[in-house]
Order: sequence, then C-alpha cells, then structure tokens
Amino acid sequence: MDQIPILSLITYAPLAGAVILFLLPRATERAARWVALLGSGVSFALSLAMLAAFDRSATGMQFTEFIDWLPGLGIAYRLGVDGISAPLVVLTTLLSLISVLASWDPIRRRVREYYISLLLLETGMLGVFVSLDLFLFYIFWEVMLIPMALIIGIWGSANRVYAAVKFFLYTLAGSLLMLVGIVAVYQAYFEQTGVRTLDVLELAQGTYGQAFQMWAFAAFFLAFAIKIPMWPFHTWLPDAHVEAPTAGSVILAGILLKMGGYGFLRFNLPLFPDATRAWAPFIIVLSLIAIIYGALVALVQPDLKKLVAYSSVSHMGFVTLGIFALNAQGLYGAMIVMISHGLVTGALFLLVGILYERAHTREISAFGGLHRSMPVAAAFWGLFAFASLGLPGLSGFVGEFLAILGGFRVYRWAGVIAMFVVILAAWYMLWMLQRIVMMRAPGEPPDPDDPELRLAAVHGVPPAAGGAGPRGQAVDPRTFPDLNWKEFATLAPLAVLTVWIGVYPGYLMRILRPAIEQALAAFGRIGL
Amino acid sequence: MPVQLVAPDWSLLVPPLIVLGTILVLLAADLVLPRERQAGLTVVALLGLALALTSLASIDWSAKGVTFGGMYRADSFSLFISLVALIAGVLSVMVSAGYVEAGIEPGGMALAEYLSLLLFSVLGTMLVGAAGDLLMIFLGIEMSSLAVYTLTAFARRRLTSIEGALKYFLLGAFATAIFLYGIAWVYGLTGSIMLDDIAAALRGSVRGDAPVEASLLLALLLLAVGLGFKVAAVPFHMWTPDAYQGAPTPVSAYMSVVPKVAGFAAMARVLVQGLNPLSQQWLTLITVLAFITMVYGNVVAIAQRDVKRMLGYSSIGHTGYMLAALAAFTSLQPGDRSVGSLLFYLFAYAFMNIGAFGVVAWLQERGQGVNLEDFQGLAARSPLAAFAMSVFMLSLMGMPPLIGFYAKYYVILALIEAGLLWLAVAIVVMSAVSAFFYLRVVTVMYFTEPAGAWQPARTRMLGAGLAVMALGNLALGLFSGPVLDLAQRWALAFA
Repeated sequence: MDQIPILSLITYAPLAGAVILFLLPRATERAARWVALLGSGVSFALSLAMLAAFDRSATGMQFTEFIDWLPGLGIAYRLGVDGISAPLVVLTTLLSLISVLASWDPIRRRVREYYISLLLLETGMLGVFVSLDLFLFYIFWEVMLIPMALIIGIWGSANRVYAAVKFFLYTLAGSLLMLVGIVAVYQAYFEQTGVRTLDVLELAQGTYGQAFQMWAFAAFFLAFAIKIPMWPFHTWLPDAHVEAPTAGSVILAGILLKMGGYGFLRFNLPLFPDATRAWAPFIIVLSLIAIIYGALVALVQPDLKKLVAYSSVSHMGFVTLGIFALNAQGLYGAMIVMISHGLVTGALFLLVGILYERAHTREISAFGGLHRSMPVAAAFWGLFAFASLGLPGLSGFVGEFLAILGGFRVYRWAGVIAMFVVILAAWYMLWMLQRIVMMRAPGEPPDPDDPELRLAAVHGVPPAAGGAGPRGQAVDPRTFPDLNWKEFATLAPLAVLTVWIGVYPGYLMRILRPAIEQALAAFGRIGL
Repeated sequence: MPVQLVAPDWSLLVPPLIVLGTILVLLAADLVLPRERQAGLTVVALLGLALALTSLASIDWSAKGVTFGGMYRADSFSLFISLVALIAGVLSVMVSAGYVEAGIEPGGMALAEYLSLLLFSVLGTMLVGAAGDLLMIFLGIEMSSLAVYTLTAFARRRLTSIEGALKYFLLGAFATAIFLYGIAWVYGLTGSIMLDDIAAALRGSVRGDAPVEASLLLALLLLAVGLGFKVAAVPFHMWTPDAYQGAPTPVSAYMSVVPKVAGFAAMARVLVQGLNPLSQQWLTLITVLAFITMVYGNVVAIAQRDVKRMLGYSSIGHTGYMLAALAAFTSLQPGDRSVGSLLFYLFAYAFMNIGAFGVVAWLQERGQGVNLEDFQGLAARSPLAAFAMSVFMLSLMGMPPLIGFYAKYYVILALIEAGLLWLAVAIVVMSAVSAFFYLRVVTVMYFTEPAGAWQPARTRMLGAGLAVMALGNLALGLFSGPVLDLAQRWALAFA
C-alpha cells in the first residue's frame, strides 16, 4: 500500500477509543467522555482531510484499500469512497462527534458503557459507507445493530426495552434475507464468469437474468426498505426514535436511515438495473404513501419527538421518490435530502432533547413562550423547522425540489402529489413551532396587547394558550434557562451547514456528479 | 487360509494413545489420591489434551495412512474431527473444573472419575472420525456415548439428573441397536463392513435412474435413524431437552458438542464415504430432516424459561443447520463445500455452545439458578460475564463478526452452490426466529436490575475458559481462513 489507509483510520479511530475504554474498567466518567470525544474527533478531522483531498472530477472509487482475506471465497477487505459515500462519511463523523457532545451532561448512568456503544456504533456506520465488499458490508451492517439496540435499551426512556428489541428484530429480519441475496449474486456471477468475488464493482459488471434480478432485488430491497424506512416497514421507527436518548435519536435519524438510501444507490441500482426499472413504479407509489402518511401522522402527534420521527418517514419518502425516478434530478435530490435531513432532523432531535432536559416531558402542550425564555433556542427551532418544511434558501428545499422535479419528469402525477404534501409539512412544522415558541406558556396570563386576545373577545371564544395547559407537576417553561455553550456548540455547525447547502448546493453537487452519472449510466439517462 | 498378522503402524495412533495414557494416569491417581486432593488433576487432563493436540502435527495426514487392516484411517477428515474433539475437550475441562470441585451437585463423583470419563468420550469421538469400517464407527460411538450417559447421572441424588441419564441411555441404547441392525443389513447386501468396499460394491449394483433395491433402502434408513438419534435430529430428539436440563451444566456443555461431533463424523463417514452411490436417496432424507429439525428446535426454544433447556432446544436447531450442510453434498470433488462447511460448523459450535453453558455454570458457582431470571442485571454485576454471554448468544444467533456467522455463511454458501436455495432461506428465517430467545438472555442481562445475593466462587479456571471462548468467537471468525482450508480438505480423505 503506497498511501495512508485513511479510510481505515477514519473507520477504526472510534473503535480504538472503544477498546481503550473497554480496557480501562476504572476510568472515571470524565475520562470516558474525553476518550470518546477524542476518538470521534480524530475520526472527524481525518474525514475532513479525506474530503479535502477528494478528487471531485474523477469517476470511480478513491482512497481504495485492498487486503486479501478469504481468497478462496472471493472475500477481501476492500474499501473505497466515491461521490455518494464521501459526503455520508463526513456526515457520520460530524453527527457522531455532535452526539458525543450532546450526551455530555444528559447521560449520567453507566457512562463508560454508553460511550463504548456509541463509538462501536460509529465504527459500524462508517464501515457500511466505505465497504466495497459485500461480505464486509454485511458485517458492518449487522455489527451496528447491537450497540444501537443497547443505546436504546439501556439509556432510553420508559418503554425502551420494547423499542430496542423491536428495532433489533425488525432490522435483523430484513438483513438476513439480504444475506441470501448476497450469496445468490456471488453464485450467479461465478456461474457466469468463473470468478469468485464479492467485490461490488465487479459484480455490477455481470448481467443477470430478469427472473433472478427480480427476486434478488427484492431481497436487498427489503433490508434497505426497513432501514430507511419505507411505508409499510416503518413501524419500528417511531418506537425507536421516541425511546432512544437524544444522541441515539440523532444518530438513528441522521445516519442509520441514510443507510437504506445508500444501499439502494450502491447495490440495488448497479447490480439489478432491469429489476430496478421493473420495480420502480411500485416503489414510487410506496414512496408517495410514505410522504403523505408520514406528514398526516406527524400532524396529530402530541409528542415532539414523535412528530419529528414521523416527519422523517415523510422525508425519506422523498429520498426513495428521487432514487427511483432514475434520473439525474431525482438522484441529486435524493442525496441532498439525505444529507439535509441528517443535519436538520439531527438538530431537531437535539432541540427536543434540550427541552426534555429542562422539562422532563416532550408533550407539546407543556411548552409555550420559548421565544421569551429561550430566545437563542427559539431561533434555532425556527431555523430548523423552516429547513425541514422546505423553505427556499435552506438545505431542505434544494433536495425536495430536485427530488420532486425528478419524479415529475417520469411520473407527472407523482410529482404533483408530492408537491402538495409539502403544504402538509409546512402545516405540522409551523403549527408545532407556533405552539411551543410563539404562544403563551401554559398558565401564563394573557398579554393584554395580544391581538389574538382581542380577536377572541370579539368572537366570544376563550383565548388560545400554548397547548392544553399545565399537567400538574410539569415545569413552567417560563423558567427555562437558555442554551449553554455545549448545546450551542452542537447546534451551530448544523445551522451553518444547513444555510450553506441551501444557498450554495453547487459544492455538494460537484462532489456527487461523477458518482451519480456513473450510477445512471446503466439507465441511459445522463446529465441534468 | 493362513492368518496374516501385520504389525500395526503405531505412529498413526499417537494422538489417541496420548489421550488413553492420560486416562490411565487419571484413573491411577484416583486410587492413590483422596477426593479432597484431586484439584491438580484438572491440569493433568489439560496437559494430556494439549499434548495430544500438538501430536496431531507429527503425522502426515495428507498421506492417508491406513492401519489395523483399514479400520483406522489417518486422513484429513480424521485430523479435523480429532482437532474439534480435543479442543472441545480442553474447553469442557476448563468449564468443569470449579463446578465439580465446588460440590454444587449433591453426591457428585470424584474429579478423577469425572475427567477420565470425559476423556474416554473424547477418545471415542476421535476414533469415529478415524474409522475405516462400520464396526469401528460403532465402537467409537459407543465409547463416546457410554461415558456421557454416566456423566449425565453425575448428580446421583438429584432426580432430574437420573431422569435425564436414564432417558438418554434408554433411547441411546435403542438407537445403537437400530444402527447395529443397519450395519448387519449393509454387510449382508454388500459383503463388507469396510466403507470403501461398500462404496465399490454399491457402485456396481446401483445404476443411474433404476430403482434401488428395497433392502438397501431399509439398510440406509436404519443407519440414518440410528445416527439421527445421536445428533438429536427431529423426530429422534426426545431425549435431548431432558438430558441437557438434568445433567450437571458442564456435562451439558460437553454433551451438546462432542457426541454431536461423533454423530456427524459417523454420518459423514457412513453416508458420504460408504453409501456415496446412494446419495440421491439419502440426500432427500437428510434435506427433510434438516428442515424439520431446524424449524422444530428454534420454534420450541422460544417457549423455554430454563436457560439450559432453551440451549437444549437451540442445539436441536443447530443440528438442523449442520444437517443442511450435509444436504448440500453434490459430489466428492474438492470444490464441494458441504462436508467442509459441516466441519467448520462443528468447530465453531464448540466455541459457542460450551461457552454459553459455561456462563450458566459460572452463575451456578455463585449460587444462582439456571432460569432466565437468574441472569437479571448480570451486566451491572459482572460486565465481563455478561459480555461473554452476549458474545455466545449473538454468535449462536449468527451475528457478524462472530464465528457463528461465518459458520452459517459457509453453510448457506454450500447450499446455494448446490442449488438448495429454499433451505438457505429457511436457515436465515430460522436465524431470525432464534433471535427471539437468544436476544431475551441479552435483554435480561443488560436491561434489568440485579436481584438477590451472590456467593463467592473459588476457581479461576472457568473464567479463563470463558475468556478463551469469547476471544475465540471474536477472532476465529475474522481469521477463519486457515481453519476453513483445513476443513475443506475433507474431499481428499474420502476420494
């Protein structure tokens, strides 16, 4: 190897941190936090260096690493990134670092174990994005499940064990069928060429029969559809998101969901182009159902975290819509929605966590008037809520617009329906924002200057308060302290990136371009 | 005809002879040492097994040496079976050490007796692996089983122990008789008990698609049923849960692995080597057995609260996976993965299952029971023990990067290469089902708070054994290449 194995370093820096913590059973909580910060920090710094050195004009994989592992079975340690995976790697390291920071104060129980899980999880996630060998990919894919389930099950809220087990079993069931699909592709390629390999790039060169493609596509699809999650495979998501601790939700929404979309792009499209074409209309319909369903259910949630969780289902619908539109706009849109959703939803979960730390409840009705007690937090709430609903100038708009455009070019009706649902997104986000930030806090006397009050008096109805009123022991939101510097530090980078991608998506799109063109080559639709 | 006496080639027998020597030393020590002073014998047994392991390297296995007139074969298949049996023996002795000494079981036997019986069973298994004729297989299996029947009754004042042993013994004796009857039929039909001669005779009489003689099918059925009992395939599994639950935990650990190794070694020798020309017939049988065994074992395990019983049913499920590996047999070509993946599975299984029972024994040494509730909050109380148990559970479930995943992967690979896609799908579906009960143990350990008081434990050997096995599960999967290559040489032995 003539170059530094930077992808391995990025992937295993967190693992090194986890091993250090594992070997130091007497480490203090403070030391554990610093080791975790160091592990994920090193990984983040290296991933930035990787992105800086990334050749944006080159097609194909970069920073490739190869070590023979089980040669008789065509299994090797193959790593590499292209324009699709490189941004996701950086997103992963960034959100992991933020998660370490965000857990600094809230996690007070079994701190060392918590950070071991978090670091192992980070290694698993990074491994998924950089593996170019199906076997290696599968290992990382499964390894990730255990620490995530532990994080939900040990450090989650009331119903955590149920949520953790459900998450684990659901995802496991999906990925096991993928394992059969992996071996079947390997065998089909061997029968065709006489070469035993699990190299994704090489397997994509093979041509497989239509019938084989159809079911092998389905085997991979199920694993990714559960992960992303598409309707009707989404039922694990609200439970897992709601019960997970804040950092767990951030990582679930920010990165784990992206693996589904990444899996479609990396495996389903290149390996089974004919089946992709055949399945696409069906998946587009599922995507539309997910978009509408997620938005409608988010609308009626009384729980902040549930609301954000269901909005994720809706957003991931845009991702699958964009991917299976199978044109350049759609793929750019899908990728940008994924990255934007990682930033924005991650930030929204952080904000929910910040409120939960203060109020010990996530009921929307318990909050109100945050613009007065927590002006900085309220500003972040506003920014990220607008980004989530797709306000032009923020990252959410770029991705959703492109994804809808891509869908519109192929299936007019799909584009039109998806466009109307954006209104629903505005509805649930703004309504939530109104209730927790703008309206009076529960128990707060009405402001005599409030125009709403006058309106209410004219129509003879009682003035609306921020929600249904205090529930006994709920903490008064008027007494909440504003963000401390740690909380600010976790949110600020996400805000900057959200604005940057919204204003100037060109940087990101240039990174994506060669990979997306390559992905589309099999479908004969190149260029915008 | 003058009888010719040929001096056997003793050099091929060095590993089993070392084990036999160790047994004799242990028995002699039992005569001179009082029960209280036998603790050091664990080390003797371990040294003997280690010596036998190293002596494996002294034989040229690729030369396919044959001695005792073809009864004993030193080929690559014997090598792998000896390797697995000896390693499983070492691990079992480590797991047993504290348990037997601490006198957890009322009326338990002396350590020397216990160890020598255990080593007898290891020896029997090695002989099955190296068998060249049906009689040798029979003797090896009996040697392996009889010792384990006795070990099951180890706790002679506990009714469940006696019950388990009795069931095991009666059904085992029954199975032995059936197997022996099968041998008689094969001898009658082919005129030989030598595996190679049987194969040659059958090759002459079995022709392509022509229907096979009913008497041959009967012989095949008798042999398969007899061996089905030994490996606990459904519907011949009735003894398994009671025997596993009733036996002292280290014995359960041992008997879940080594007699199974003996059973599968015999199956491979008899079916793949001896009855090779009948493969179309026995493949159907084994495929069906594999399917019902894995479904039954995994589904019934869900309902168990007793961890030992749960592991008993789960071991039935694993028998199903191993039978599936055998069902992937296509031909004796070196590229065929069926028996290779079966051998690797047995190797992996030793590390997973002895480990899982080992943690149960570890808890019992600390005055806990064997129910799911006794695992409550183990992670808070002893993070390392909980970590080890999680490794074993996840490995049994087939989670990468643990060795159980690799074992399952190789079986799935063999099945898909043989065109048995549906059985491969059945394996992964059953793995998902098995996640229910394996995960429950992990959930109880990590997600609940500890309850009840602990007694202090005395020995460190068990902890060391668990550590070895947990590390083995982690490392031997990632670096499974050499072991797999070794297992894959089976075809050279049978050809």
